[in-house]
Amino acid sequence: MEIDFSASNKNLWKEVYDNENLHHCYNCGTCITGCPASFGNPPLLVRNLARMVILGLEEELLDDPTPWSCVSCTRCEEMCPMDVKPFELILAIRKWQSLSDPTYIPTAIVEIYSRGYTQPVGTNTEMRESLGLHELPTISNQPEKLKLFREMLMKTPVMSENDYMFMGDE
Amino acid sequence: MDLCFFLGCNMPAIRPDVESAIRLTMPALGVNLVDLSGYVCCPAFGAFPSMDTESQFATSGWNLSLAEEQGHDIMVQCGSCYSSLHMGLEHLHEDEELRARVNDLLKPSGREVQCTTKVRHISDVLYNEVGPEKIAEKIKKKLNGVHGIVQYPCHTLFPSEVVGFEESPRKPVALRRLTEALGATVDAFSLEYQCCGGAGGFAKTSPAEADAFTKTKLDAIINETKAEFIVVSCITCLMYMDGIQEKLNKQAGKEIYNIPVFDYNQLLALCMGFDGHKVAAISKIPRDSILRRF
Ligand code: SF4
Ligand code: SF4
Repeated sequence: MEIDFSASNKNLWKEVYDNENLHHCYNCGTCITGCPASFGNPPLLVRNLARMVILGLEEELLDDPTPWSCVSCTRCEEMCPMDVKPFELILAIRKWQSLSDPTYIPTAIVEIYSRGYTQPVGTNTEMRESLGLHELPTISNQPEKLKLFREMLMKTPVMSENDYMFMGDE
Repeated sequence: MDLCFFLGCNMPAIRPDVESAIRLTMPALGVNLVDLSGYVCCPAFGAFPSMDTESQFATSGWNLSLAEEQGHDIMVQCGSCYSSLHMGLEHLHEDEELRARVNDLLKPSGREVQCTTKVRHISDVLYNEVGPEKIAEKIKKKLNGVHGIVQYPCHTLFPSEVVGFEESPRKPVALRRLTEALGATVDAFSLEYQCCGGAGGFAKTSPAEADAFTKTKLDAIINETKAEFIVVSCITCLMYMDGIQEKLNKQAGKEIYNIPVFDYNQLLALCMGFDGHKVAAISKIPRDSILRRF
């Protein structure tokens, strides 16, 4: 693939991942070696993502879906010899993508906003009773607290900019 | 000791039998569990941590502040919750500006985060606070002669400087020693430290490759060990290692994989004499081969 560097954004790293150590990355590929998602299709190649950020390849990075294949196993974080914190880099790229293009925003946040959890926690009463488990003091059972939690989230930037996603939950 | 029990989302909603096993076994070993009223999702890495900094750490701060209010450390079983809460604690502790902003966000709810609470994994508590010797003394039935393998939760190993409690994250022993304390023999094999592959996007973005990744591990277990069970200590490892065997069998049209998967506290509960219908009731791959020994 030929890359057009004339269109590159030299300050991209500051927008995406303002961490000096990123510039110490020497392309060793250790972050790929133990990565489960490096077997994916397309493969997640953390080293390449680090390069894209350093070189300022904005368009390529925005279109790259591979950061979303990461399983958060944090092996790369342990093994990287230059303390780049590749897993934090992955999350930072996802954040930058979500900010730049709202179609990246994970739908799980709508569930957390509406009931506090990704799963319907506390609604399986019959099963819980059969196992001898007590009712949980979930946030979904405490409307006042849930309201405060939602109001807190709505004060954060990406939530407030995309509040249309949560309209059905008021 | 008293610890705040952070349940997460999957355990209470999908595998409450694990919750039951933990609630029965831990107090019997001297660990009292305190509920965190009004807790929320950890936040899961695929949610706010993939969206923006403020919502991520405000959510971590919300949960951490609940435990600070109780005055006890947090105990977690789910690997992702453990890792996410640690990331929250680490960033909020080190970055004063971030902590100040999060405290602004928490203020209207009457909350504040000071980063005074520790986040501990249940296998750390079992290994380093209770200890394998005490566990061996407390159990009524043993798994003598039964072979198994352990699936280490990645989130409890790496990055070891932040989350670690093992002497060597490259060669962890806690879950192995804890399982041996139940009388079982833990077999070693070539892919012992390989990730289950279940957390996050991999299985969704690349289902065929993700299946092959875990199949390789299951094949190694079958070919290299005499394992009759898999023991885990993470709700994702549990649901994934169990579910994928059923999926691979369906794909193949025959029963190739049938190794029952247990959370450690489920095996512990069985060995302590608790009822299998309460502590190990839910699974895809039948557990009868192990349950009938109790
Ligand atoms: S392991 Fe670290 S230094 Fe090596 S390529 Fe990956 S990010 Fe760069
Ligand atoms: S944390 Fe993500 S990028 Fe790093 S090794 Fe694990 S799956 Fe790969």
